[in-house]
Amino acid sequence: MQQDTVLAGLTEVLGDVAGVDPADVTPEARFGDDLGIDSLMLVEVVVAAEDRFGLVIADDDWSRFVTAGDVIAYLERAGTIAPAGPVRADATKN
Amino acid sequence: MPEQQLRLADGSGTGLRVAIIGAGMGGLSLALALRERGMAARVFEQAPELTEIGAAIALSANAIREFARLGLADDLARMSTVPTELIYRHWRDGSRIAAHPVRKDDWYVERFGAPYFGIHRADVQKILSAALGAEHLHLGCRLVNIVEQPDSVVLEFANGRVEHADLVVGADGVRSTVRRWVTGADDAVYSGTSAFRGIVPVENLPSLPDPQAIQFWMGPDAHLLHYAIGPGGEAVNFFAVVATPPIWMDEGSVVGVQEEVPVASFRGWHPAVTEMIKAASSPVRWGLFTVRPLLHWYRGRVVILGDAAHGMLPHHGQGANTTIEDAFALAALLAEAKPDDLEPAFARFQKMRRARTRKIQRSSSVTSSLLHLPDGPAVLARNEKVTRVPEEFAWIHEYDVQQALRAAGAVPAGNAVQA
Repeated sequence: MQQDTVLAGLTEVLGDVAGVDPADVTPEARFGDDLGIDSLMLVEVVVAAEDRFGLVIADDDWSRFVTAGDVIAYLERAGTIAPAGPVRADATKN
Repeated sequence: MPEQQLRLADGSGTGLRVAIIGAGMGGLSLALALRERGMAARVFEQAPELTEIGAAIALSANAIREFARLGLADDLARMSTVPTELIYRHWRDGSRIAAHPVRKDDWYVERFGAPYFGIHRADVQKILSAALGAEHLHLGCRLVNIVEQPDSVVLEFANGRVEHADLVVGADGVRSTVRRWVTGADDAVYSGTSAFRGIVPVENLPSLPDPQAIQFWMGPDAHLLHYAIGPGGEAVNFFAVVATPPIWMDEGSVVGVQEEVPVASFRGWHPAVTEMIKAASSPVRWGLFTVRPLLHWYRGRVVILGDAAHGMLPHHGQGANTTIEDAFALAALLAEAKPDDLEPAFARFQKMRRARTRKIQRSSSVTSSLLHLPDGPAVLARNEKVTRVPEEFAWIHEYDVQQALRAAGAVPAGNAVQA
């Protein structure tokens, strides 16, 4: 359940920040090859994920992320619980 | 001038009492940017005078386009040197590894819509503070305490002065006092690198090729960056970085060293490098600190910007420039804020600025390692990479704060102030 919630949050972040199709976001999806996210865009994803999940992801950590699953595992290890919905609930998409 | 603009120009547009801590690039820029938006601010600076001898900065298009809108570009240009080229050189033999035009063919200004200036930091402060007016500047005021009250903030200064404000902005640098209050911790992190700095008259540098260029000399565990400054490029500002000491023991960021230490750190380097370091007078080592990424740049009625919020290594020359971007972004968002509910404006500010500054901060750290490679296979890839610098890092220089504000749903600045 927790993994699903983190995945859902990350999927939302990837959609908002990088326009990634939710159907493409799986734990195995690689940022570069599968999702078309380069290292600069990855910083935007990281910062948005930090806001979403309420924690800072150190540069030494996120620079090792290869797949969406790496981020999910990191957030779970960091003790993230289900993200607070209201933060993004009223966000408008372009 | 119509009466309404006069009233706005004197900054009485809102009743908000804004206090800015620090009269560096961020504090002075913010005060001017707020005035452009019809808001007044008082700037408190710990130094008794705005004259830091022996320091220079490079201003790039992303910052200068903001000053240009305020009519300050000509004043800055008069005191500046535009580098001829950006050149990368080998540490020992001095060979040109890559060179990119800057002033040459007007490449930079054509590409980015504003110039690139090498200038004494104190000259920028002089120009900005003159534009602001001395009456808004309170020198010799070192902040020692912040006390939050239900509807205001009390600022206590070392000289005994006590001031009340509705909104406080910490523009007090990488070792920020205000940040300690905001985050409850010292979030400055020593980078494992330190620098020797100096400003040397060009005539004392007979071995230096291309003295009017901005140049990186890259070698094992060290590099030297320099560019010309002043109205006629008559002096060269240098920044010589070494990947040592591993741990910074001192409380402050600057320590004295034995006179021979700076040049001994560059033993075996090209004569132009050792000659430059030798020609500088003060044997002082500057620890290079960054600020660890922060989740919040504000607390209550207090917000931080610039190096205080995202201090970075100087290897993209963007510490001052991103600070100036912050100032103009924050001013726009504060102008739209409800005086009795500031946090939404602070949240918009960090949402707009955190990713951009994080990217440049990260890239500056990566660049630090690339500049310090030992001769060997990795150098070949690095040398190929520096041939692509202008396009690879164009995103830093082409950034336009007002466009970013528009994209964030805020009102970009017009040019009413210049009318």
